[in-house]
Amino acid sequence: MRFAEPKPLTAAQQFLLLRKNPLSAGNGTLGSGCFEWRFRATPTPLSRIYEARLEFASDRSPRVYIETPDLVLLAGGKKLPHVYEQSPTRLCLYLPRTYEWQPWMRLDQTVVPWTSLWLFYFEDWLGEGEWRGGGEHPVPRDVERRVSRSRLQRQHPPRERIE
Amino acid sequence: MLHDHRLFLRDGMLIGALEQMCATLEISQSQTTLAQERYEGVGGWLAESDDPLLKAIGIFLQGSTAIGTTVKPIGSNEHDVDLVAHVPGLGIWVEPTALKKAIGDRLRENGHYEPLLVEMGRCWRLVYANEFHLDITPSIPNRDCNMGGEYVPDRALKVWKPSNPKGYKALFLERVKLVPRFRVMKGLQAEDRAHASVEPYPEQGRFKGILQRIVQILKRHRDVFILANDLDTSLSPISVLVTTLASQSYEYCVRTNVYDSELDLLVDVIKRMPDFIETRTVNGRMHWFVWNETTKGENFAEKWNGEPRRAEVFYAWHSRVLNDIGRLRDVEGLDGLKQRLSDSFGPAPAKAVIDSITDEMSLSRRNGLLTAAPHVGLVTGLASATATPVRSNTFFGR
Repeated sequence: MRFAEPKPLTAAQQFLLLRKNPLSAGNGTLGSGCFEWRFRATPTPLSRIYEARLEFASDRSPRVYIETPDLVLLAGGKKLPHVYEQSPTRLCLYLPRTYEWQPWMRLDQTVVPWTSLWLFYFEDWLGEGEWRGGGEHPVPRDVERRVSRSRLQRQHPPRERIE
Repeated sequence: MLHDHRLFLRDGMLIGALEQMCATLEISQSQTTLAQERYEGVGGWLAESDDPLLKAIGIFLQGSTAIGTTVKPIGSNEHDVDLVAHVPGLGIWVEPTALKKAIGDRLRENGHYEPLLVEMGRCWRLVYANEFHLDITPSIPNRDCNMGGEYVPDRALKVWKPSNPKGYKALFLERVKLVPRFRVMKGLQAEDRAHASVEPYPEQGRFKGILQRIVQILKRHRDVFILANDLDTSLSPISVLVTTLASQSYEYCVRTNVYDSELDLLVDVIKRMPDFIETRTVNGRMHWFVWNETTKGENFAEKWNGEPRRAEVFYAWHSRVLNDIGRLRDVEGLDGLKQRLSDSFGPAPAKAVIDSITDEMSLSRRNGLLTAAPHVGLVTGLASATATPVRSNTFFGR
């Protein structure tokens, strides 16, 4: 027996949920099928307060950028780990094209707390020089292959993670 | 209010960090137990001696191990465990050298202690490599002291000088029991805590025995300060002086003031320490006195009066530690915390603190217990209806 996949949330629904949750308190502009949302994230009371921008469009993965402070500057010449782009800094928060994030999932309950978690390990990395948040570093072209691998995952347990 | 709340939580996290740091620097419970077994053995061996000078000799702890303020010396694996070997029947007619020699001779008679024995200026040291060493100082009763004091040899082993290790310990532990008063922050009262935006209230960092932690923080900072500034370690403010000033200041602060947090109290105690140094001008020269309150005539600042440079070093260190602890609140980020702790207390304790914060976070994440709360950040362990659970994820990317 197979359950139907939950229905994807619309951009307007995601936008409203982000606005409602005190964790993602901020402001943004809603367009047709897409939006931008700016919120403040902080991993611990001793951490910096970071300004983040979330870009969402119905047909693609949500994108999270850190606007201030400048993470590249903070890193002082070291290359930032787990980002799609160094500058503007776009965070890699989950494995793309797998089931960690799916369009029916609330952004305020997934990528928003993941942003704080990423920032926690970022500050740890700044002091330690080692990324201790686990994750996967793909080899080139791995992204394309991931499509077929993720289909396989339906029958097989998830592959081992780096801790 | 939310701003205050975050500041309050910052203080709690800083206290948690300092607490963790002290825990990594102090003698462990298993080492304490082992040390106790060993010095009780030594005590038994001395007591069984036929030497009339050692009749009814008893051995007991003094110093930092006795009062719970140990800090591992920099560049050494061994903790100092200070002991007094007290002979109740003797008086000042016995030469300090004679009693010291009798103790040394008796220890040498034992094939087990003989290879561990090192003679020090006024005590005997048994070295248990990479664990601790037992320093055994001879002592006799001081019948002129109405506070139950003792005499111990002076540094030159020429004369007996007043001291009172048991009384000192008792007074310090009385002060440990003084409970500081803290203001209850408005935002943390029950009716406000019901408000979604200040929930949840994470477990706050607290000191285990705040006076003892203050002394440990001061002693470690001093050790790092002396080393980092290339100062002669013989000029380093002695532990008993630091401990005495901190405990007097603590008593004053706790009895007089109400504080916002343990961090506030810590800063105030450090700030007021010099108030308890008595100064007098003798023949146009400054003299300093930090009296042992538990006997007559023991001045812990005695050496300053022969060598005023020691006083200079103390005051330079004091203003530095006050500044360093006072500015802890301004740290930016966990990386900033690590840097600051490393500068003040050394890289190894700083790493231990950050590792412990990161390990706790990662463990909570693995166990699916992590939540995120507005203004606070990630919260480990405490489930709250208003916090957002952090779902499992895998950081991707180059």
